[in-house]
This record gives sequence, C-alpha cells and structure tokens, in this order.
Amino acid sequence: MHSVTVRIGRFAAQLAGLTLVLLLASQPSRAQLRLDVTEGVRDAVPIAIVPFGGQAEGGPSDIAAIVSGDLRLSGRFAPLDRQDMVARPTTGQEIRFQDWRLLKSDYLVVGRLNSKGGGSAVDFELFNVQTGQQLLADSIPVVGQGQRAAAHRIADLVFERLTGIPGAFSTRIAYVSVAGTPPRQRYRLVVSDADGYNQRTVTESGEPLMSPSWSPDGQSLAYVSFETKTSAIYVQRLATGERRRVSARSGINGAPAFSPDGQRLAITLSRDGNLDIYVLELATQSLTRMTSDEAIDTEATWTPDGRSLYFTSDRAGSAQIYRMDLDGAKQAQRVTFTNGYNARPRVSPDGKELALVTLDRGGYRIGVLDLKTRNLRVLTDGRQDESPSYAPNGATIIYASESRGQGDLALVSSDGRYQERLRSDSGDVREPAWSPFAPR
Amino acid sequence: MPGFVREHLRPLAGSAGLHLALLAALAGTALNWTSKQPPVQLAIEGVVVDARDLPKSLSGTRPSPKPAVKPQPAPAPVVEPPPPEPAPVPEEDVQAKQQQAEAAAARARAEAESKAKARAEAERQQAVEREAREKADAQQKKQAEADAKRKAAEQAEQKKAAEAEAKRKKEEDARAAHDAKVRSDREADLKRQLAAEEEGAAVARSGVVDEYRALLAQAIERNWIRPPSARAGLECTLFVTQATGGTVVDVKLGACNGDQTVRESIVNAVYRASPLPAPRDPRAFERRLEIVFKPTE
Repeated sequence: MHSVTVRIGRFAAQLAGLTLVLLLASQPSRAQLRLDVTEGVRDAVPIAIVPFGGQAEGGPSDIAAIVSGDLRLSGRFAPLDRQDMVARPTTGQEIRFQDWRLLKSDYLVVGRLNSKGGGSAVDFELFNVQTGQQLLADSIPVVGQGQRAAAHRIADLVFERLTGIPGAFSTRIAYVSVAGTPPRQRYRLVVSDADGYNQRTVTESGEPLMSPSWSPDGQSLAYVSFETKTSAIYVQRLATGERRRVSARSGINGAPAFSPDGQRLAITLSRDGNLDIYVLELATQSLTRMTSDEAIDTEATWTPDGRSLYFTSDRAGSAQIYRMDLDGAKQAQRVTFTNGYNARPRVSPDGKELALVTLDRGGYRIGVLDLKTRNLRVLTDGRQDESPSYAPNGATIIYASESRGQGDLALVSSDGRYQERLRSDSGDVREPAWSPFAPR
Repeated sequence: MPGFVREHLRPLAGSAGLHLALLAALAGTALNWTSKQPPVQLAIEGVVVDARDLPKSLSGTRPSPKPAVKPQPAPAPVVEPPPPEPAPVPEEDVQAKQQQAEAAAARARAEAESKAKARAEAERQQAVEREAREKADAQQKKQAEADAKRKAAEQAEQKKAAEAEAKRKKEEDARAAHDAKVRSDREADLKRQLAAEEEGAAVARSGVVDEYRALLAQAIERNWIRPPSARAGLECTLFVTQATGGTVVDVKLGACNGDQTVRESIVNAVYRASPLPAPRDPRAFERRLEIVFKPTE
C-alpha cells in the first residue's frame, strides 16, 4: 500500500480535498492582497516615473505610482524613488535631461491627467534620458475602471516599448484564498488586477474551492467547488455572477481547463473507476473519454492550437507529463524524463514550453520544460511551490508557494532571472491563474 | 646464446653497425628536423597601420629626387691660327769655276752683267720679298686684329655665359638648398611621425592599448543591464566619441546581432559608464573608440 500512497502523490491529494472538514470562518477576511516585493531585483532597468500632473500625489489612483508598481513587479525595471526626484516635469518640454542622468535613470515617463470634453484622459510621454529621444507619446482615455486601468495601460505600453514584449499589467489573476484554521475555514475564489488591487470575490464557500481556469475571452471562470459536499465543476460569468454547473458526475469532478476556442473543457473524472481525462463539450454536454489507463491521469492543459493536451499521469510509476493529440489514436507520449516527479503542466502562450511542478533536490519547485530540446530548467527554490500559471505575454509565471503552512503567491520570470515573492495578508492563498489578455 | 653470438658475430656486428648508422642518421635527421621546425609564433600583437592613417608625406607623395646638377660644357678653347709661313727664299749659288783666261774677260763682263743681273734680280727678289713680307705682315696684323677682335668677342661671350651660368648655378644652388631644406624638414617630420608611431606601437606592444580596450569593455559591461532577450553570442560594434576626461559625447551602434531592446540597452550602458575609465598610459587615450562589445556569458 505504501507504493500506492506514493503513487497517488500530491496531485491526487489536491483533488481529494474531500477530507477537509469545513465550517464558517470565524473571521471574514477583509484584508487586501498586498503584493510586496520581498526579494531583490537583479538587472532591473532604472526608470523614473514622475508624478503625473492634474492629480494629487499619493492616492489609490496615483497614476505614476501604479505605473511604477507595475514596472517594478515585472522585475525588469527599478523605478526611481519619488523622494529622489529633483523635478516634477509633466510634459517633454519641461524635462532637463541632465537632472535625470545624474539620478542614473535610463528612461523617464512624464504625463498628466487632462479633462477632455465630458471625460478625461491621461497624456504621457516616454523618453530615453541618455539620448533625450522621445520613445512614446500617447493619450489614454479614462473609462470603465478609471485611472488605475489607464495607468496599467500606460505600464503595458512602456513595458512593450522597452522590452519588445506586450505588457500584461492590464490583466487579472484568479486565486483561491483560505481564511481561518481547520475545521473552521472559509474559501473564496477571488479575481484581482494583476497588481493585486480591485479584489472581487467570485464565490465563497465553507467547502473547498479549487482549480480556477479562465475562459479564453476572460469573461468566465471554470472551477471546482465542494459546496455540495462532493466535487462539481462550475462555469461562472464574472460580469453577471451567473453560473452553470457543468459536471457533477459521480466521484471526482476536477481540474477543468478551457479549450482555446472556449467551447470545451478538459476535465478529470473518476466515474469509470479511476481518474481519467475527458473532454466536455459545453454546449452539448457530450463527453469524450481521452484516457483509459489504470493509472491516474489528471491536470490536463491545452496546446494553443487546441489539438493536443498535456496532462499528468503516474502510469510509469511516478507522476510524469504526457502529451496526447485529440484527433489521433489517443496514444499518450511521455514528455518528461528528468526528475522523479513532474506534474501540473501549463503550456506557455507561444506553445514552446511547459511550466510544471518538479521534484528537485527534495523540494517541489517550478520548472520550465523546453518542448523542443526537452531541457528542464528549475526556476524556483522553494519547498512547496505549486500551480504555475503563465502571464498571457509569457514573460512571467505566477505560482503558489507554501511556507510554514501558509500559501503565498510568487512570481518568477519564465527565464528564471527574476523571482519575487508576494506576501499576502489575506490568509492562505493558492492556485493562482493568470487571465488572458483583455480583448481590446 | 654466446655460441649464437659468436657464430653470428659478423652479421650481428654488421647489423649493430647498421643500426648505429641508422640511429645516427635518424638522430641527425631529428636534430635537423628540430632545427628546421618553424619558429614558434610569438603572440605579438602587431598594430596594423592603415595607409590612410599615415601622414601624407609617407604615402604616395614622396618628393622625387632632384636631378643632379648637369655639368655645363666647358667653353671650347680658342685655337690660335698659326702664323703664315714666310715664303721660302730661293738661293742662287753662283759658282765661279776655273775658267780660261780668255774667257775671263768675257766672263767677267758676263759675270758683271750677270752680277748686275743677279743684283737686280736679287734686288727685285728682295723687293718682292719685302713686298711679300710687308703684305704678309699686313695680313698677319690684320689677322691678329681680327683674331683679337674675335677673341674679345669670344671672351665677352664667354664671360656672359659664365655669368649666366654662375647666375643659373646660384639659382640652382638656392633651389637645391631650399629643396634640401624641405626634404630635411620632411624627413624630420617623418622621423617624428615614425618615432611617434613607434612609440604608439611600443605602447601597443606593451599591452596598454589592449588593456585600455579591455578596461572600456569592462566598464560598459558593468553598466549594462542585460535584457532577457540578450542571447549567447551577442556581438555589437560600438562607435564611441569621448571627450578628454572620458565623458561620453556620442554613441553609435554598428553591426549588432541583438534586438532593439538589446541595442538600446548597450547604447545606454555606454552612457551609464560615462566618464569612461582613463588608460594607464595617457598616450593610449583615443577620442574616437571602436569597441566590440561581446559580453561574457
């Protein structure tokens, strides 16, 4: 039996959240998810984001502060501290470049909030301090979520201009937060901006909530809830809160993953005796069994072209990652051979890599497998790192990292160069899922 | 065994000798071979001097050597015409032989006659001679006068020529002196240049320039914020203009296999490294630098 226990391993334990006893949380969590960078940043480009004109400094909609926070969180930039700024230009003409050169800033963002007609807009400019060259000049209308959204958009544009990679600051993250101590715990499925602000609870339960998965249009989340004491998969529209139970078959209903076209869900079911991968047509409820191995097959994820799945299976004796084409002979090919445990795959947006959890030197860590070379790089050094999820620009991976029984979120650049731990004060945080780009 | 040796002593000795000879030959060849080994290439960093960088005096426009002063043909010596030969005076040898007495008187008469005749003849002869001599004298005088006149003219001519020649020679000398001075000046310049170059080369040889370049590349790399898109094998040529003191005035990027982010990051790295480090030997300082940026992995 020992081998069975080992074999089932972590990912089965994740699904088998049934054993958790749950009661209402004694203290409802009102805390904000605070994303503090607690680890040093290497090789960050110095940039100065001058407080924007037309608004007071320091409020929650301080545009320059939001842009600075975004860029700092990317790990690629080191924004200049505001108190070190010797001038407050808000347009290009007001800039004395030598001031900023002395401050060792390579780039400079200036701007102002302007009222335009009925609404307002944020005008901004990006300069190379060393050459004085203007790199960007744009006007972002303030609509919808207001100044924070405009600020994130500015950060996106600045990031893209300076790195060649589209910024992902206007995106969101979904995660599960657990407050209270067993047996009195409260589960919340939360969606926040990528910088941790604007938290909104999607659903709440005294029973476990698990495995949030974004629809490709970013409008809905699929997730597992044990609210009826057994697991079921729901799809919920974020804007309206309207939700649908899409799978409540006998046994385990777990690990939903939206197909790239948004029409199907890959899910894990145990209704046929053991855990296998199925594909569920959302419109018709038609179910296709993808695996029928005696071993555990779970945690499916789609390739960007929607024609293949990667999933975790312990059919070889330990958890490893396999690939299967949907329209083929349903033959799974093993893709991981390094390390004794590889699980929870997520395909990178460009389809070239898999982020996964790997057992590396005694710790469960986040690794990236190059699908072409089969080279596995371990990016993190935690003991219990789990649930990697790519930012839609592929530059960053968010994951959960457990230490001292408390789950935190952490970021690592997909090349492993930047690693940042985000301390949350809203309890145990797990299973982050990064949203796709918002449609523009 | 000893029997065998004894028995085959001669062939053995021969074989041994042959071996020795072969060994000797081989050793000789080996020695020869060692000595003929190509000399070990010393890693001398030669400074390639571009012909375009050389001063003009070095390349192409070397002054053509002045032709040697052409010897002026010496004036032809004036040949004195020989004095005219005096006409030969015929000698009349009258011989009085022992004549008969009878004939003596007639002869005396005849002799007197002939004497008178001879006298007259002699006188006439003398007159002719005198005339001839006078004529000759006059001619000679005339000739001498003409000669003198010609000689004077010739002398005047010669003097004039000599003066012209002297003048020409003087000018020639002056020009030659000037040319020589120019040449020597140029040579001095050249020598100075060569000395400077040699000094530069010496500086280069001493590794100061290499060290300077390494120092600059290091300073730039230290200030380089390596973008994630910077891949292995990155190589970019930078054209940097610096002021004395190392302040970066301008940065241009030449060939570079990085993306836009990488290119911008390298240019910024140069500015960030400003002021650039000074070389250990101030002579190695260059205002315009071409730096190949090949970051270490």
